[in-house]
Amino acid sequence: MKILFEENAKKSEKIEKLVSRFFKKVPTLENKLDVPMVIFQDGVNNSYYIKCQVLARIASKIIDLNAKIKAKDPESFRANRELMLKDTTYLKMELDAANGREFNDIIVEYNSEYNADKPLKVWGGQHRAHAISGAINSANRYHGFKVYFDLNEKQRTEVALISNTNMGVSDDTFDRMLEETTFGNTLRKWCQKIGFLGPKEDFPDVGSRSEKITVKLARSFIVNYYMGLDKGKTIKSEELDKNIYDPYVTETGVSIDSKYAEIMSEKRNKILSDKSLIEAGEKFLELHRTQYEAVKGNPKIRNRKAYRNKALVISVLCGWSYIAGLLQNHRARLLNHYMIPKTTSKIPDPLNAEEMSNFKHDSDLPTYRGLGTRQSAKDMQRLAQVFLAKSLSDTCTLDKQFLQKAVSTVVGLTTLKRGYV
Amino acid sequence: MLNYRDYLSYSEKYIQLAEEESLDKLKFLIPSILLSWIAIESFINNIMDDFGSLPEDLFELHERGLLLEKKVIFVDHGGEMGKFKLDYREYKRLGEKILFLIAKFSNLNKPYKGESLWQNFEDLRDTRNKILHPRRNIELELTVEKAYKYLETSKNIIQFVSTNVWRKKISF
Repeated sequence: MKILFEENAKKSEKIEKLVSRFFKKVPTLENKLDVPMVIFQDGVNNSYYIKCQVLARIASKIIDLNAKIKAKDPESFRANRELMLKDTTYLKMELDAANGREFNDIIVEYNSEYNADKPLKVWGGQHRAHAISGAINSANRYHGFKVYFDLNEKQRTEVALISNTNMGVSDDTFDRMLEETTFGNTLRKWCQKIGFLGPKEDFPDVGSRSEKITVKLARSFIVNYYMGLDKGKTIKSEELDKNIYDPYVTETGVSIDSKYAEIMSEKRNKILSDKSLIEAGEKFLELHRTQYEAVKGNPKIRNRKAYRNKALVISVLCGWSYIAGLLQNHRARLLNHYMIPKTTSKIPDPLNAEEMSNFKHDSDLPTYRGLGTRQSAKDMQRLAQVFLAKSLSDTCTLDKQFLQKAVSTVVGLTTLKRGYV
Repeated sequence: MLNYRDYLSYSEKYIQLAEEESLDKLKFLIPSILLSWIAIESFINNIMDDFGSLPEDLFELHERGLLLEKKVIFVDHGGEMGKFKLDYREYKRLGEKILFLIAKFSNLNKPYKGESLWQNFEDLRDTRNKILHPRRNIELELTVEKAYKYLETSKNIIQFVSTNVWRKKISF
């Protein structure tokens, strides 16, 4: 079989050999017809690939749906989102495959470095690939594959991202891929160390469906902790309550948040050994678990996911972690901050999720959905103030009056800061 | 807990009931007017509370007295002798609270008491006083049109304070 390089592809002996080896091991339509094979090179990331047709029965034996970003790292997890095998779209796909539909543009990487008997690592079209495998007894058609060769981690991540861009893949999946490629497994290890994730557990690919910490939440926790820490170093104790604090949500999706990247470049090696950060993480996890159990097991409060996971709402998590950082140099208040808010017969959960959800200040729009429900600057300022005010006492209950006063303080300070006094 | 939007909505509802009533409209117009006034009270008191909840040293004592509706007294005995402090509850007039908020927190530096907005506010206040302090020689002349005007005045005063203090328009 003749192998050619497309005119925009830089000739590479190594790639030519890999492609040649691929055709020796994998029977394709092109092989069978002895048509020339063209090697393309991506103009953006310089990765090499070919386009070819493989029979369903052959493909089904060698495709690997558990592709990993770090091929050589045994701790690297499956990177793709979970398969949605009960989704109506998938069921239709499966039916079509059984009826002989040919699929195209399934994105794979030819890689024998792990799981060597399944060298076609699927990066795009995992549902189509799965449907094909499931239908081999009904139909054995040729399907179109785009096969990449000799990818490095960066190229691999980008292939994964571009292959999934049009498929409604969650930002949590993108975050998970980019995190591993850019910073390795530090963040995951930190979450495992704290207990946010089990010892061999990875971040969820769709945060909204899980009840676990996501990459975005973990990044936000760390960024806010260090932001608060820096801010706290500049503020005297008596000035703590005269400021509005601005927690920060890390960007999510196809790019790495700049503040998080800055922190990771400075502190990546310290995060796993920073005792204060670890203590903050553990205390926050304790709050989350207490809230979760209080809602789950109590008939006095509706067992809603939003209530159970109130601590994991982004504005709550950011506000809490910012204040944890802020108070590192104010030990007595830090210890109060770490105390779980008291519950009462009328307030069965420490974060008083129902009351927070019903909360509305006069300055809010009629459509405002309550405290700790949105990812807005206003909501995060308010939550930071709630936790800051709570740190004034070790016997605090987040009741209605307490929440009102905390939000009043933010609104009052915001107006004062405009400088018309 | 009710807020100014609730009171405004109740006020409007009562006016609509008055419109539907052919004989005794007063039984609906009176609560409507009171509710229009209460809406302003609720809104202004809550803003006062926002500032009243701030650390004490951000305001002068007499300002805190107004914010918290407490009397400033001179202490002539005990450990705080010779100092001023806030003591018992002393209710402040709604109009004075508005004047304070505008003067303290907005950059509006022209007199506005002569403008129609304030004149209408005073008209609403007088009518409210007549309702709350009835006498046989005071005749209440209430109409649906007047009640609508007071409702509008209530909204306008709330909007006036919001745009000047918070610098944002609110939606009703």
